[in-house]
Amino acid sequence: MSDKIVKSKFFFEEDFIETIGEVSSKEYKSLPPNKKLKYVGKPLNRKDAPVKASGKAKFTFDIELPHMVYARTLRSPHPNAIIKDIDTLHARQVPGVFAILHTFNMSAFNGGKIEWYGNSFLFDPHVRYVGDEIACVAAKDEETAERALKLIDVKYEILDYEIDAKKSMNSKLKIHPDGNVRRGKPFEYERGSVKDGFDEADEIIEDEFSTQVAVHNPTEPHCSVADWNKDKLTIYDSTQAVFRVRNMIADALDTPKDSVRIIKEYMGGGFGGKLEAGKYSVMAALLAKKLKRPVKILNDRREQNIALGNRPDSVQKLKIGVKTDGTITALNHYAYAAIGAYPSGGGCSWPLRTLYKCDNVRTEEYSVYTNAGRARAFRAPGNVQGTFGLESLLDEAAEKIGMDPLEFRVKNFVDFDQVGGKPYTSKMLIEAYKIGAKKIGWENRNKIPGGGKGYVKRGVGMASQIWWGGGGPPAHVRLELDSNGKIVAFAGSQDLGTGTYTFVAQVIGEILEIAPDNIDVVLGDTDRVPYGPSSGGSTTAPSISPAARDAAERMKEKLISNAAALWNVESENVGFENGTVFMKNDKSKKLSAKDIVAQLDDKKISALGSREANPDGYSVQTFGAQFAEVEVDTLTGNVRVLKVVAVHDVGRILNGKTLENQFHGGIIMGIGFALTEEQIRDEYTGKILNDNFHDYKVPTIKETPEIEVFILGEGDMKANNMGVKGIGEPAMIPTPAAIANAVYNAIGKRIKSLPITPDKIITALYDEA
Amino acid sequence: MPKNTMQKITFILNNENIFADVKPNSTLLDFIRKKERLTGTKEVCKEGDCGACSVLIGELENGIVRYKNVTSCIYPIANAEGKHVVTIEGLNQNSLNKIQEFYVGENAAQCGFCTPGFIVSTAEYFLNNNERNVEKVYDSISGNICRCTGYGSIKRAAEKLVADVPEAPEDYGERLKFLIEKKIIPEYFLSIKDKLQNILQTKKIDADGAKGKTIVAGGTDLFVQRADEMLNEEGYFVKNFAKKFISEENGSVILSGATTFEDFFNSEIIKTAIPNIHKAFKLIASQAVRNSATLAGNIVNASPIGDMTIILLALNAKLILKGKREREIALKDFYLDYKKVDKANDEIIEKIIFEKPGRGFRFNFEKVSKRTHLDIASVNTAFAAFADDGIIRSATLSAGGIAPIPKVLEEATEFLSGKEINNALLNEVVEIANSVISPISDVRGSADYKRLLLGQLIKAHFIELFSDRLNVGEAI
Ligand code: FES
Ligand code: FES
Repeated sequence: MSDKIVKSKFFFEEDFIETIGEVSSKEYKSLPPNKKLKYVGKPLNRKDAPVKASGKAKFTFDIELPHMVYARTLRSPHPNAIIKDIDTLHARQVPGVFAILHTFNMSAFNGGKIEWYGNSFLFDPHVRYVGDEIACVAAKDEETAERALKLIDVKYEILDYEIDAKKSMNSKLKIHPDGNVRRGKPFEYERGSVKDGFDEADEIIEDEFSTQVAVHNPTEPHCSVADWNKDKLTIYDSTQAVFRVRNMIADALDTPKDSVRIIKEYMGGGFGGKLEAGKYSVMAALLAKKLKRPVKILNDRREQNIALGNRPDSVQKLKIGVKTDGTITALNHYAYAAIGAYPSGGGCSWPLRTLYKCDNVRTEEYSVYTNAGRARAFRAPGNVQGTFGLESLLDEAAEKIGMDPLEFRVKNFVDFDQVGGKPYTSKMLIEAYKIGAKKIGWENRNKIPGGGKGYVKRGVGMASQIWWGGGGPPAHVRLELDSNGKIVAFAGSQDLGTGTYTFVAQVIGEILEIAPDNIDVVLGDTDRVPYGPSSGGSTTAPSISPAARDAAERMKEKLISNAAALWNVESENVGFENGTVFMKNDKSKKLSAKDIVAQLDDKKISALGSREANPDGYSVQTFGAQFAEVEVDTLTGNVRVLKVVAVHDVGRILNGKTLENQFHGGIIMGIGFALTEEQIRDEYTGKILNDNFHDYKVPTIKETPEIEVFILGEGDMKANNMGVKGIGEPAMIPTPAAIANAVYNAIGKRIKSLPITPDKIITALYDEA
Repeated sequence: MPKNTMQKITFILNNENIFADVKPNSTLLDFIRKKERLTGTKEVCKEGDCGACSVLIGELENGIVRYKNVTSCIYPIANAEGKHVVTIEGLNQNSLNKIQEFYVGENAAQCGFCTPGFIVSTAEYFLNNNERNVEKVYDSISGNICRCTGYGSIKRAAEKLVADVPEAPEDYGERLKFLIEKKIIPEYFLSIKDKLQNILQTKKIDADGAKGKTIVAGGTDLFVQRADEMLNEEGYFVKNFAKKFISEENGSVILSGATTFEDFFNSEIIKTAIPNIHKAFKLIASQAVRNSATLAGNIVNASPIGDMTIILLALNAKLILKGKREREIALKDFYLDYKKVDKANDEIIEKIIFEKPGRGFRFNFEKVSKRTHLDIASVNTAFAAFADDGIIRSATLSAGGIAPIPKVLEEATEFLSGKEINNALLNEVVEIANSVISPISDVRGSADYKRLLLGQLIKAHFIELFSDRLNVGEAI
């Protein structure tokens, strides 16, 4: 059905990935601006809102199947140890305990190798962090499973450990056989010559910045329910990636992919932390097979915090060369990050390589294994950290040469991708600066940082943002029209709460001129929907919405040609309006979609739409700038964010309300990262000291500032047939950096490590000596 | 071996009478989700910090069923005895209720996992406020965490709701009818009063002694710290027999130990006795936790940074303990060592008493934590002083987070009396305070930082209360 096969490469969370898949090669006329459209771009209510507001939506967490069994995981109390022996006798004697899996009884399951954990095992005899999986108990209820966990007796050989990236880099202790720097070497990049660049500079500014470990903490925990029916495994999973999870589970179990079905209807957030199959899902599948009963496995809040992913920390040494006229002559970035005990990425240099014009750039990044929980992609991985470093340094450089920070950024604007060498489909950063500056009152900021009166000081700062967000193939949407005239869209995607159900219906409704309310959307079921990508990297809307358009356009063509056949005329003589076809030269002759289907033997029409290839010769990226105004109480060190203005070039708005959710959510998460969120790891025990909501502080409604969001342009029509780009990550990337720059403007002291907590402010102000 | 006693319990869940055998210290949330399989109530943090598990608790008081919201994950099921428990399912009507309508209309449900909790907490606002004030809605939902929306859409839903729903009658009974008419609560709420009366009549609540049992008041910290052990203990619930009251007698303010934080802050007696107390209110816990947490619980828990304890210390409060005998002890003498208090096992805190301050009284509470709201303090401090003509006649300065116990800084307190208020005095008192404290480094900050911070907060007290007598610029 689709028209050609292409190989495409795009950035997905932590790395570039290459995919092969069918794309649509149909070309459609350019979609007009939203104001000329009926449904796309309109702030329609979410399709799934009523079922959520009434508590009726069934999340994976809520699923109960007949005869279900509950599983819980025993996790290592030691940061580095070899398991010598496991005695489960007492645990097995607890009434209601059905099965226990651990490293010494896994031989039936191929030893339990898990490829994506660096080829270690499901239960590895070498536990590498506090929280590593040791055993899993299935019991009649959770309470019983938890009781049994405590009775499992494990003998360890306790080893030295390392939780600090820098020490780990130079340590003899080996967390994996090939050494503690992932892949054995840093990721290096250079263009031009930084040496020449620094020689040319009038001023060279060097500084070091660091960011903390942060945790996704979605409200719904990671959880799965596994259920076998003969040789078919169904897993209900709280996941951002039904197809990826399917493939990973099938690989882990060494079973064909089509014997695994993954279902996710509603989920309570992911933020990048639910992009792969969990070890816990594999455990549930194994237990369910063994017990011939469905198994539900939950991870509690503590497990969320210690074992299910985090944003790795970063230490960044930056160096910039500038001329007095503001030209950047060289940029150098050296960074390392603790990625935890299993493979992950900790790079954060992307923004520095691409955001501003500079011919001489060098970056060197180390992803370092440590005896800590594994890092996972977390809303704009790397870029949030890297943007904080880069944008702080840029402000320092601007101050050094006596230039306004905004003017400095304008001066170094660049309109093509300096790494790939291609022009951007769109980059409206200059407009973003203008609008943002006006809305925040840029000219009223402290001319002298810290120069405000009183002990509660105000400041204004800004930062820019770059992120991919263009999406790409393969991504498919299948439409089915039945004899009742009902349209159902099966889209190769899943809704994390971001609004996929809603925008798919809007796009199809627009093309077929049907109210979105009358279109059902099915997502998140590998047996029912055609293939589509994982929902991460701000790729869902730009991948799926063009496929939805393609499907709807094809459906429209089919309606026209079917009507033409019924009327014995050429298709050119048939028109389409308001969901009905009509004869062009006799408008009284009409057929509704329902009428057409009724006359077909098949009693249905289906159409498969696909995402087209990304445009040749262009780089598709999102851009934006955020401006923050803060108030710092110099007595207590409290920082309050008063206002954030976000101006972004993120393509066409699909739905104003879901867009607002994404932006506010990203900005607030950025405020959390800037001010309060920080995982505290104890160097003396390797344990996490704040593994709960009590001590890991995410923002509340009382921390929310005034937020203004402004989207530039009418759609990036060079990017795809909808002109859509992603927004989830762009929303958060510049927030912490803008706040940090605003704090500097308020108090005249630069806080170089996030989060900016009261103690750092007070210490900077009063305790410098 | 832990005892595993089951207890019979009767209450109303939504529109249904529940008669069940429960482990008294299991949580209401587990009962709702696991036993009753009502899954609209979510579990996120399991320690009272996110509001996803919010439910309404209706209690019969003087012939009226009054509602408040609590976090069911730390609410002992036995405390539900004789009450009306309302989950999201119990607020649902044939079509969306008014609150849900606005949440849907403003897209205030993104992933939707937190949403039922927000709806329940918003319903609490309507039940307990006849006037329309969006800030009060925010208070009601301040204990609800949403990780997706950034709260913008939720705030707008709240704003539109208060604009849409007119003011309600002051009379609580009338208000219920009004709220039914406005589609905020379902009709069956009107039948609850009679049902509760029936339950209470048929079942006399046992007010036996507390021997050998853990005394649970609100349970808001206990269930966070020791939920697993608790499950198999026999609980004894102060709230089931202790009266709640706040009264004034012979120039003293008398509070029952069972007084909840929320009762405390809402009391007219307290508001008139302690100027500036509303400022503290904003910094202490979420409404749901304030509804459960009690003064006696906060005091006995002996956390070195208990907010209410610090406030009561500055007020020179005394405790009346009741065991075999009744005795009186000054709150400041109650704390012996880290988490150790001068209290026998069978004693409970019956009353808390402080003298009602008169003219010239000033009060201030300061607290710094990582997150401004709903957080445990790094350091907290309260300052109560009588001052006139620029002279401090007498004062009490208390502080938490700076020693193993919550403390009155006696040296500083003594030093202040009779002194003229000026910058020099301030500097001296900061120095004295610093010389008598012994903070430790922990998750909430390093020892050095806490030292520095206490000094800053004492300055904040002075600036708040005596800015007219100080050169503020110099003070900081
Ligand atoms: S689950 Fe978070 S407050 Fe109860
Ligand atoms: S909507 Fe996802 S946590 Fe609130």
